[in-house]
Amino acid sequence: MSDLHIELRGEAVTLLAERALFRERNATLYVADLHLGKAATFRAERIAIPPGTTAVTLERLSDALQRTEARRLVVLGDFFHARAGRHADTTAKVQQWRAARPDLPMVLVRGNHDRHAGDPDVDLRIDCHDAPLADSGWWLHHHPGPPSHEFWLAGHVHPAASLVGLARQSLFLPCFHATAHGVVLPSFGEFTGKAEVRVAGGDRVFVIAGDEVLEVD
Amino acid sequence: MPTSNSPLTAASLERVEQFFAARGWTPFPFQREAWQAYLDGESGLLHAATGTGKTYAVWLGPLIEAMRDAGPVALPKRRKRSDAPALRVLWITPLRALAADTESALRLALDTLGLAWTLESRTGDTPASRRARQREQLPTALITTPESLTLLFTRDDAASLFRDLKLIVVDEWHELLGSKRGVLVELALARLRHWQPAVRTWGLSATLGNLDVARDALLGVSPTNARVIRGAVPKEIVIDAVIPAVIERFPWAGHLGTRLVHEVIEIIEANRTTLLFTNTRSQTELWYQAITAARPALEGEIALHHGSLDRELRNAVEQRLKAGTIRCVVCTSSLDLGVDFSPVDRVLQVGSPKGIARLLQRAGRSGHNPGRLSRVTCVPTHAFELIEVAAARSAAARGEIESRQPPRAPLDLLAQHLVTCAMGGGFVEDELLAEVRTTWSYRELSDVDWSWTLDFVAHGGPALKAYQEYRKIARGDDGRWRVADQQVAMRHRMSIGTIVSDAAVTLQFLKGGRIGTVEESFVARLRPGDQFIFAGRGLELVRVRDMVGWVRLAPRARGVSRWMGARMSLSSELAAAVRDKLADARDGIFEDPEMLAVRDLLALQAEWSAIPDNSALLIERLHSREGHHLFLYPFAGRLVHEGLSSLIAWRLGRVAAGTFSIAVSDYGFELLSPEPAMLEAAIAQGLFSRAGLADDIMASINAGEMARRQFREVARITGLIFQGYPGSNKTVRQVQASSGLLFDVFQRHDPDNLLLHQAYREVLERQLEESRLVETLRRIESHPVEIREIAQPTPMAFPLMFERFRSRLSTEKLADRVRRMTLALERKAS
Repeated sequence: MSDLHIELRGEAVTLLAERALFRERNATLYVADLHLGKAATFRAERIAIPPGTTAVTLERLSDALQRTEARRLVVLGDFFHARAGRHADTTAKVQQWRAARPDLPMVLVRGNHDRHAGDPDVDLRIDCHDAPLADSGWWLHHHPGPPSHEFWLAGHVHPAASLVGLARQSLFLPCFHATAHGVVLPSFGEFTGKAEVRVAGGDRVFVIAGDEVLEVD
Repeated sequence: MPTSNSPLTAASLERVEQFFAARGWTPFPFQREAWQAYLDGESGLLHAATGTGKTYAVWLGPLIEAMRDAGPVALPKRRKRSDAPALRVLWITPLRALAADTESALRLALDTLGLAWTLESRTGDTPASRRARQREQLPTALITTPESLTLLFTRDDAASLFRDLKLIVVDEWHELLGSKRGVLVELALARLRHWQPAVRTWGLSATLGNLDVARDALLGVSPTNARVIRGAVPKEIVIDAVIPAVIERFPWAGHLGTRLVHEVIEIIEANRTTLLFTNTRSQTELWYQAITAARPALEGEIALHHGSLDRELRNAVEQRLKAGTIRCVVCTSSLDLGVDFSPVDRVLQVGSPKGIARLLQRAGRSGHNPGRLSRVTCVPTHAFELIEVAAARSAAARGEIESRQPPRAPLDLLAQHLVTCAMGGGFVEDELLAEVRTTWSYRELSDVDWSWTLDFVAHGGPALKAYQEYRKIARGDDGRWRVADQQVAMRHRMSIGTIVSDAAVTLQFLKGGRIGTVEESFVARLRPGDQFIFAGRGLELVRVRDMVGWVRLAPRARGVSRWMGARMSLSSELAAAVRDKLADARDGIFEDPEMLAVRDLLALQAEWSAIPDNSALLIERLHSREGHHLFLYPFAGRLVHEGLSSLIAWRLGRVAAGTFSIAVSDYGFELLSPEPAMLEAAIAQGLFSRAGLADDIMASINAGEMARRQFREVARITGLIFQGYPGSNKTVRQVQASSGLLFDVFQRHDPDNLLLHQAYREVLERQLEESRLVETLRRIESHPVEIREIAQPTPMAFPLMFERFRSRLSTEKLADRVRRMTLALERKAS
C-alpha cells in the first residue's frame, strides 16, 4: 500500500488506499459509509448477492487500523445499510471483529441510513452522535457541511472522479474530495456505489488507484 | 368433425373468395396454400416483403375453420361480449404501435364474414378497464406483445386460458429472431404447445438468409408438419445512388456530410412522399436542419421521426404519412417496421446501408400502389459508400440476404422463465426441462446449466448455501415448484421481459408540452442555459428535476443532441460483396455507375498503394510526425475489426512491447505506435494464426470492461436489478445497485456464477462476433499479406487517420495510467 501524506489546515494527515483518512494530531482513523449488511438487505429481498462483502470490508478496516496504529476509530455515518440487513450472520461478524480489539474507542456520527437501520447494538460499544460533532478543532458530519471557516470531514456522497487521458482512455475511481471547507471521504464499504464529484476551482482530488493514492488535476 | 376437403370447407372458402372479390382482389396462390395448410393442421413460416398480403394468408385460415365448424346455418348474432367463443387465436406482434393497425385489418375480415368473435389488443398501452375485462374473459382473438403474453402466464389459471387455442401467429418474426426477446417468444410458444399440443403456429417474416433456422426456432425442435411458404414474388426493387458531380480527393478523402442536400431536395420535390432514413437519431436532426435551412418552404411539409420523440408526436407523423399529407419524413429504424404507408413513393437512405436485408426492407416501404416500383436511393456521406451501394445491389440480385442467429441458451432469461412458470400454476422439474429443451435456443441446454439455474433461482446458488432462509421459489409436497411468496410474485410481474432501457430524461416545455426523451448522460453534460437541437427545434435547458428536463425554445441554438448507441457494423454478406466489387475494380472492371464514380479515387489508391480485395490482405505502413502507422484492410465490418485490431496489437506487443492507439472502421483499422512495430517478425510468428485464439482474445480485448457493461442486461433480466414501480418507497431504493457494482461484487465473491460467464460469452458472441472474427482470420491465413510502404495517407487510410474515437492497448499498471490522466470535468470558475 502506498499512502499519501498531505497537509490539511496546517495538520499532517494521511490518505490511505484502504479508503480511510488518518489524522496525526489525535491518532484517529476516519472512515465513511460502511453500509454493513447491504448484501444481506438484498438477500432479504430475494436478490442473490453472494456473501463475503462484510468480511472484506472489516478486513480492510483492520488493515488500516494496524498500519496506522490508530488509537481511535470514527465512522462518518451509514454504519449499517438497512434494518433488514442486520442479519444474524452479519452482526456476528461485526461482534467478532469488535471482540478482537476491545480497547479501541469507536465513534459513529449518524448518517441517513443509520436513522432507518438503527444504532449498532450496545455491546459493540460504539459512541453514537448526531452530526455535527466537534473533534479536536474540526467538525464531523455525514452530509458534507456548509461552507464555513470551520473545517469538517464528511461522507455520504461516495465521491469518485472521472479521469480521461489521451486516446480515449477513461477511468472512474473512488476519491477523496478536499475543498476549502472540508474533506469528503470515499465510501469505505465493499458493496457501495460511486457518484461523480463536482469539482470547483481550488478543490483537490485524490483518487484511489489500486493500492496507491494519487492526486489528480 | 368435417375434414379439410368437406363441402362445408368448400362453402366457407367460397365466402372468403367472395370477401376478396367484393374488394376487387383475388387471393394469391400463396394465400390459398396457407389456408389449406392451416386447415390440414400444419404449422409453418411464411416469408415475403411487407404489404404483400401475409396478414390475410394466416388470419383467414381460422375464420374458414370457424365457419366450417358452425355449419351452413347463419352464424348467431352475438349479444354479449361473454357469449363470444373463448380465446382461439393469439397474434403476437413485436411492436405495440403495430397492434392498432393489425386490429383494424383483422376486424375488416371478421366483420365482413360476420363471425361472432371478439377481437382485442392487450399491450402495455391497454387501459386498465379493458385489462380488467380481459381478466374475466379473454377475447376470441387477442393481439399482444411477447411481454404481455408472458404476463398472462403468471396467472394461477394460466393453462386454462388457452384451452381452446387453435392458432398462434408471430408477426415480424425476423425482428424477434436473433434477440433475447425472440427467445422469450420461443419459451412462450413451448409453454403454449405443452398445454395445447395440437395448436398450430404460423410465423410471418421478411426473407432471411437462414429461413430453416427461423422456422425451427419458431416451431421448436423436431416439429411435425412444418412448412415454409414463400409469399408473393416481390415486385421489382430498384437500388441506386445519388452520385455527386465531383468527388473531391481531400481534405476529407471523400467525406461528403450533408453536401448532397440539394440533390436530396430535388428528389423530395419530384415525389409525392419520401422517407429519408438515416443510421442514427443525431443524423435525422442534422438532415432535418440541413433540408429546412436550404429550402425553408419545406418546413411545414417535412417531419422528424425517431425513437426518442414523444409517442404522440410520432403518432401524428404516422397519421400524416398514411393520409399522404406530408412530403418527407426524416427517420431512423423507428419506421422500419410494420404499418403500411401506401403513399410513400420514394425511399432515401443516408449513409452506409450496412446490410442487404435492411436496405431491401427500407426499399419495400415505397411503391405500394399498383404498377409502382419500390425504389431506394442511397445518399452517400462518404465516397466509398458508393461501393457499398453497388455491392448491395449485386448481392440483392443474387439473393444473398443476411442470416439471424438466435442466442444460445441465455441463462438469465431461463431464470426469469422459471419464476414465471412457478407463478402460473407451478412446475414439475423434469417436465419443464423437457419443455424448455423443445425450443431451438435451449435444445442443447446441459443438465449442469439447468440445475445451476434452478438452484440459483430457488436458493441463490452455491454461494448462498449457508443461507437457508433464502428462497425465491420452493418445491411443495406435491413436487411442484411454486413462487415463495406474494412479494416475489409482485416484483416478478414488474420485471418480465428482456428490454433494457437506458435511464431517459423526458424533455418538456415549461408551458407543458412533452417533446421526447434524451439519455440521462446527455443531460448530465448540460448546464442550465445550454442550448441544443432536438425534434428539429432549438431548445434551451432551464432545469432538470426528477428525470424531467424543462426547456424553452431557443431559435438560434446550435449543436444536435447526441444519443449513445453502438455503431452498427457492415454485415458479413455486404462486406463480402464489397470485397467482390473491389476485386472487379482491381481487374479494371467498372460496370456500375457508382463504381465508375469512384474510379478516379480507386486509381489514386492503386497508384499510391493497392486496392484491397479478396486475394490478399493489404497492409499500408506510414511514418508521420504522429508516429508509426499500420493500416490493415480486412473489409470485415466494424465489430470484427474492433476485436481483430486489439488481437493484432496485442500479438505485435508480444514480439516487442509497445503501446498502440487504435482506430477502426467498417473497412479496416489503424494501429499507431511511437516505435515501429515488428510487423514482419510478428507475421512469421503467427500474427494472423488461429492457434491460441480464444486465450489471446481474452487477454487482448478489454474483456472485463466489456463484460461489465454487458452484465447490465443479464442482471436486469435475471431480476438482480429491480427498476421499481410507480411510487417506489424507500425499501426499494435500499436494494438498488448499479449493474457495474453488482458485476464487481460477483466477480470477486462468486466468480463461478454462470451469469458472469454468460456476460463474457455474450461479449464474444455478440459484441465481437467471434465466429466472424475466426472466419476473417481463416480468410487472411489462406492468402498472402501485401505490405506497402506509403509516403502519404492513401484515400482508404485517410478517414482512419482522422477517426476521433480511438482505443488503446497497453499493459501498464493502473497507477501509471492515472499519472498521465486528468479530471474529466473542467474546473468551473470559482
